[in-house]
Amino acid sequence: MTKELEHNFVTDLEKHQNIVHKVCRLYTNSQDAHNDLFQEISIQLWRAYPKFRGEAKFSTWMYRVAINTAITLFRKSKRRVQTQDFDTVLFKIQSSEYDDTEEEQLKLLYKAVKQLSDIDKALVFLYLEDKNYTEIAQTMGITEVNARVKMNRVKGKLKKILNP
Amino acid sequence: MDQLDLLKKDWKKQDGSLPKLSFEELTSLIHKKSSSVVKWIFIISVLEFVLPHLILLFPSFRNVDAQMESLHLQNFNIIISVVFYVGALIFVYLFYKNYRSISANSNPKILMQNIIKTRKTVKYYIWFALSMIPIVGGVFSYHAFNTPEFIAKLPDGASMAVVWAVTIVVLLILVGIFWLIYQLIYGRLLNKLKANYNDLISNGNRGNLEDI
Repeated sequence: MTKELEHNFVTDLEKHQNIVHKVCRLYTNSQDAHNDLFQEISIQLWRAYPKFRGEAKFSTWMYRVAINTAITLFRKSKRRVQTQDFDTVLFKIQSSEYDDTEEEQLKLLYKAVKQLSDIDKALVFLYLEDKNYTEIAQTMGITEVNARVKMNRVKGKLKKILNP
Repeated sequence: MDQLDLLKKDWKKQDGSLPKLSFEELTSLIHKKSSSVVKWIFIISVLEFVLPHLILLFPSFRNVDAQMESLHLQNFNIIISVVFYVGALIFVYLFYKNYRSISANSNPKILMQNIIKTRKTVKYYIWFALSMIPIVGGVFSYHAFNTPEFIAKLPDGASMAVVWAVTIVVLLILVGIFWLIYQLIYGRLLNKLKANYNDLISNGNRGNLEDI
């Protein structure tokens, strides 16, 4: 039974691992830190899995556990030296798809997101993942009104960081 | 176009560039050791429950019973021991109950509330344990200061008020030192979590940590 449970879990995790990688990219600055957080999220998901009753989609449940781990449960390792900058490690999609101005703008935007608080990053993450305000509110445990207010503030903060 | 919408357009294109871990790699990963803050909270909390009792291992504390007996404080000794151990058991039960409620399945708000609640149980236990120092110290000193041996040892003209003032200051310093050490451990563990909690609940449903 446990083996079957583990097999089902890892199959689902393998299928949806992108969600975890994206959370890691948002909350860490180096490959080592990324790997550490990915490991901790995977462990927390596995531990919480027996209580996942399928009321929500596996991916929806993953968002919650991954965000919980990134903002609350994960204890950053002191031995990790953060050597690489956010925009040099992440999101290497650019090139031919954008013109230089847009690419530069995106770089600055990712850098600005990096400067947000843990909670703001979670809100931005869910927004970028195409979640509506009801889903964002439910995932974070806040009211929909609060989610909207916070998102507007985040947009304001980003503008301020980009145009000081 | 809104800046976040520009980001969203780009965000969706990153899937191809993300690492892909195999089934085997993921299987081995989930069995590795967790470095969760909850694990540390549990370890430190258990230590905090155990440490006040370890003090009895020091030789100078071992003969407390004999000293209490010589001052005819056996009954007080029994009462304070019962109060302390019953209190400690109640706190251990509450701690266990709150600790069990910590789950990564909860939403971030509930998760943070439950962690803070669990730590608060330990905080109240520490207050409770520290309050024993002035109570036991005060009663013990009161009886010790009234023995003929103590009065005979007092220098001529020494006032009891000064003796009491010094005793109270020493007891308060003792409590203060323990309290500071505790605040350091407590603060280190929960500062970030408290900041995140306040950040999360700000605006719409404003509240604060004292509401928990």
